[in-house]
Amino acid sequence: MSLLAIRDVTRVFGGLVALDGVSFDVHEGEIFSVIGPNGAGKSTLFNIVSGFDQPTSGSVSFAGREVAGERPHRLVRSGIARTFQNTQLFEELTVFDNVLAGTFPVTRAGVVAAALRLPRARREDRLAREEAHRLLRMVGLDGEADTLAEDLPHGLRRLLEVARALATSPRLMLLDEPAAGLDSAETRELASVLYRVRDAGATMVVVEHDMGLVMEISDSIVVLDRGCKIAEGPPMLIQKDPAVIEAYLGEEAGDDA
Amino acid sequence: MSDRTRRFAQSGGAVLAAAAVLALPLVVTDRYLLKVLTFVGLNVIIVAGMAVLFGYAGQVSLGHAAFTGIGAYTCGFLTARAGWPWMTAVAAAVALSALGGLALALPSLRLRGHYLAMATLGFSVIANIVFVEAKSLTGGNDGLSGIPFASVGPVRLDTPWSNYLLVWGAAVVVVALVSGIVRGRPGRAMAALQGSEMGAMACGVDPVRVKVTAFTLSAGLAGLSGALFASAVGFVSPTSFALETSIILLAMVVLGGTRSVAGPVLAAVALTLLTYIDGLIPGLSKTTVAALQDWKGDIYGVVIVGVMLFVPAGMAGLARAWRRKSRSVTGAGEAA
Repeated sequence: MSLLAIRDVTRVFGGLVALDGVSFDVHEGEIFSVIGPNGAGKSTLFNIVSGFDQPTSGSVSFAGREVAGERPHRLVRSGIARTFQNTQLFEELTVFDNVLAGTFPVTRAGVVAAALRLPRARREDRLAREEAHRLLRMVGLDGEADTLAEDLPHGLRRLLEVARALATSPRLMLLDEPAAGLDSAETRELASVLYRVRDAGATMVVVEHDMGLVMEISDSIVVLDRGCKIAEGPPMLIQKDPAVIEAYLGEEAGDDA
Repeated sequence: MSDRTRRFAQSGGAVLAAAAVLALPLVVTDRYLLKVLTFVGLNVIIVAGMAVLFGYAGQVSLGHAAFTGIGAYTCGFLTARAGWPWMTAVAAAVALSALGGLALALPSLRLRGHYLAMATLGFSVIANIVFVEAKSLTGGNDGLSGIPFASVGPVRLDTPWSNYLLVWGAAVVVVALVSGIVRGRPGRAMAALQGSEMGAMACGVDPVRVKVTAFTLSAGLAGLSGALFASAVGFVSPTSFALETSIILLAMVVLGGTRSVAGPVLAAVALTLLTYIDGLIPGLSKTTVAALQDWKGDIYGVVIVGVMLFVPAGMAGLARAWRRKSRSVTGAGEAA
């Protein structure tokens, strides 16, 4: 059974059809990429799966449960974490505190427990801190724990968002253009982090423009163009697919004009 | 200094400060000064709650004096007119103000920024009209008098120093509880929300729930302060809870700074003492006193605007920046 099943998802904004009857499946343990020219509907798709938007019609099922229209903070609790194309870090907090905030869905202490510093709240806090340290080491940010997020170099900000998303203990990670703005060394580092994440047991859906990275890391790819799915398959086949080449060439020709 | 030693030093300092504050009546015998310091403690209780609301959850309230008023009138009416035992009346006062906070928060926290501030301002004005007009409950403009002193069982707290101890005892407990909240998981959720609402949602934080919690909590604490005020002073009238009081309270949290309890508490102490400066410093000339009284409102206004413009994170933010700077200097020194 697939972990994430998208069925006939359509999203209409006013008169614009952003997604038009898109269907695909993501299986447990995969790195699954969604690619396509600008305006293909990739971000809309991500927002729908993570609960930041709702489909006009169609269904999204996660681990066998219909989740379309559920609020983002509920979806995180059921195991869907995400990063953002424009990073949404807590700029005035330290790198460590950013990751610590990610442990929110896997901890429980409420106002009363925290106010009274109950033993279970303290124990839970200690575990959350250990987990945050472990994740910082995993993405290679342990040396920056006390740096403010706003002072972090651009290339490391995306890794921080990945670590924060991991702290929610996700079954499915949605990464929205994780390599955008990274140089080639940073992209290599990202790829190795993503492999580590997969080995730790999370399934990933990646929206990405860096074709080198996509072809390298993906087990499976779906290609969107103007809201429609135009191809789906392993990287080898996608690279040769005439419809995909056409869509990308069309975009480049359009950009030149 | 490592984080652990710093935390240890901080909690040690907090315990010492609390002990010093509670031991103060041993040294201070002046009744007026003790009364002023009691008012300082009352404001500390309100501001500790507003530090959560403003400094952590990022919500501006121009209506907290109204919650203090609800607490004061509830406690006053129940003890003076309905003959309730003091403890029960205080509990009811806190519950009713918290409920008022909840009732205001649920619809208006879907509003953002200035619109929320406007809603709380409207609430403050409405509450004050109710305090004036609901004469059978509040005594109208004449106020509610004959409110008995606090009493716990057979012990009546009818001296200035016992009221001082009552108020500051409550303040110390409130500050300790609030510090636990903001350092723990709820505080992290609030700080996240203030940093990026989308980012916080992606961390599983429910924005409405967190804001409503912060609002209800701070309204309840304002109510507690009001209840203690009513029994310490014995008299409650609408002017104490007018919009100006809300603005003064906001000036305290803004000056004190974001993501801090100590900052707003210190600012509450400083700005409350400023209000009574004429009685506290005997040598002041009449003209200085008159000028201070005339310009008080402007001073608070300038504090709010100035801090918002130039140091939006307030005193606490300055302290954080200074700590970071000194730490990075030592860090560089160690590396060299």
